[in-house]
Amino acid sequence: MSPEIIQAPEWAWYYIAIYFFVAGTSAGAYFIGTMEELFGSGREREVSRAACYIAFPLLTLVPIPLIADLGRPERFWHLFVYNQAGYPYLNLQSPMSVGSWVLLVFSVCALLSFLDNLVADKIISFPLFSRYYNRIPRKLYAVIGSLAGFFIAGYTGVLLNVTARPFWAATSPLMGALFIVSGASTGAAAISLFLIWRKRNSGGEVERLEAFDRVVMVAELVLLAALLVMAGRTAAPLVSLPFIVMFWMGTVVFGIVVPLWFKIRSRAERFGANPVLAHYLFILLGGLLLRISLLQAGQL
Amino acid sequence: MPKGMFIDTTICTGCKSCQVACKQWNGLSAEPAHFGRKPGVSYPVAHNFTGDSYDNTGSLSATDWRHVRFVEQIDEPRTQKRWLFSSDSCKHCTDAGCLNACPTKAIQRTDLGNVVVQQDTCIGCKFCIPSCPYGVISFSEETGTARKCTLCNDRIHNGLGTACAKACPTGSIRFGEVADLRKRADARVAQLKSKGEKAQVYGYDEADGLNVFYLFVDGPKVYGQPEHPIVPQRRLVLCSLVTILTALGIGAAALVSFRERLNGTSEEGRHES
Repeated sequence: MSPEIIQAPEWAWYYIAIYFFVAGTSAGAYFIGTMEELFGSGREREVSRAACYIAFPLLTLVPIPLIADLGRPERFWHLFVYNQAGYPYLNLQSPMSVGSWVLLVFSVCALLSFLDNLVADKIISFPLFSRYYNRIPRKLYAVIGSLAGFFIAGYTGVLLNVTARPFWAATSPLMGALFIVSGASTGAAAISLFLIWRKRNSGGEVERLEAFDRVVMVAELVLLAALLVMAGRTAAPLVSLPFIVMFWMGTVVFGIVVPLWFKIRSRAERFGANPVLAHYLFILLGGLLLRISLLQAGQL
Repeated sequence: MPKGMFIDTTICTGCKSCQVACKQWNGLSAEPAHFGRKPGVSYPVAHNFTGDSYDNTGSLSATDWRHVRFVEQIDEPRTQKRWLFSSDSCKHCTDAGCLNACPTKAIQRTDLGNVVVQQDTCIGCKFCIPSCPYGVISFSEETGTARKCTLCNDRIHNGLGTACAKACPTGSIRFGEVADLRKRADARVAQLKSKGEKAQVYGYDEADGLNVFYLFVDGPKVYGQPEHPIVPQRRLVLCSLVTILTALGIGAAALVSFRERLNGTSEEGRHES
């Protein structure tokens, strides 16, 4: 009888891994944007504007997979209110409980930033809102929102690490770090794609975003290598068939190494628009496949 | 005072009356057959019915809250053999991984120290399932919630023992105060050791003490129990610290990247500020 008796939660990858990816990308984009908002000179704000336009719409997708994966979806509100007594409930030892609350805070900040930009860009107008419109509240929810964003990007990894499943337990404490870095990378790619779509992908700001992304992707490779070394034999599923394609080809080669090589090369020489677009898509796809691989490898 | 059970595996005969009593008292349905492929077998096998052992369910599940493990030890020349039995259930850990992980307060400890899943609160998030270092708590497709042994919560709060202990014909499963049961266990270990058996109690230190603990005459692994179970939440502080440090690193990288503009901007930038 196998001593590995610890059961897998059997979270569906098409719900939970996609949630990890969407929330990570949204949070990554948001904290990059707010970093520019808070520490930039304030004259250029294409990146932070793009971040605000990305973060909230992506977040609106999040409750669907999260609630759909529950055994009793109609009771999802028990995450916030203890149904036997009716008072709000928070369990500081449970990343899922804290994560639910922070997701709520993050959504509020992302919504406010989103509305704020809509008003600033004169896409919508609230006469009252516009009259009292100024930069102070924007910075306030940028501060709260970026902290919440970092949390949302990272807590999903911590959540996997604090279980007893062999692969997730063996990779402790690096999964949260990897998920934050991956979130930053996919968030930056999403911002870049948005800027390409709006035809604003030029200027010093975009170059700075690229420089940031190069650092992040190197860090991602280092963390991934460290994580695999720590996992040791528990990472065995990653060298079986679906994962060889998904993880090694999809995430490592085409999701990180090739785009990183492309980014470093493109500093010296210019490429056409299509490969640029494609390498951002590869980064996003690589981020998604990373979440699916790490979730499923822990459940096999 | 916590109540618990002491399972003396040396006097278990593998009759499975405890399994039956548990199912009857708790109204648990039969385990649905899950068929799957086994390596080396060309046809699908019901992997929750072992078929190659008197051990019929192989593991605990949402409908099997008690499981009598049959350990068949046969030496290489096939002349000596030993059968070990161990009636397994939820251990009602003092530091319970499932309870720590529960985001809805569905999993609670009662005044008698047993850990219970409140079925009308559980949302079926399944986070408790990988958080149990013993693989006990399971997800029920039938109810959409997590389910496990309650230490017969209804019985013990009305002065009765657990159904399994009541049904056990050899006294292998004893219900009572944990403190009393530990005395009994220590006495039994001393008795076995004086006869030359290598007996040990499993569950004094694991997860801050198990309210349901065992007497084994071989390593815990032989009985399907982890040798060094770790309550997974004990990694939480380190994981959080590493993640926060990474967040600070990423923040610093972003700060440096977007601060460059201050140095890189033309003269007008400085005049403005």
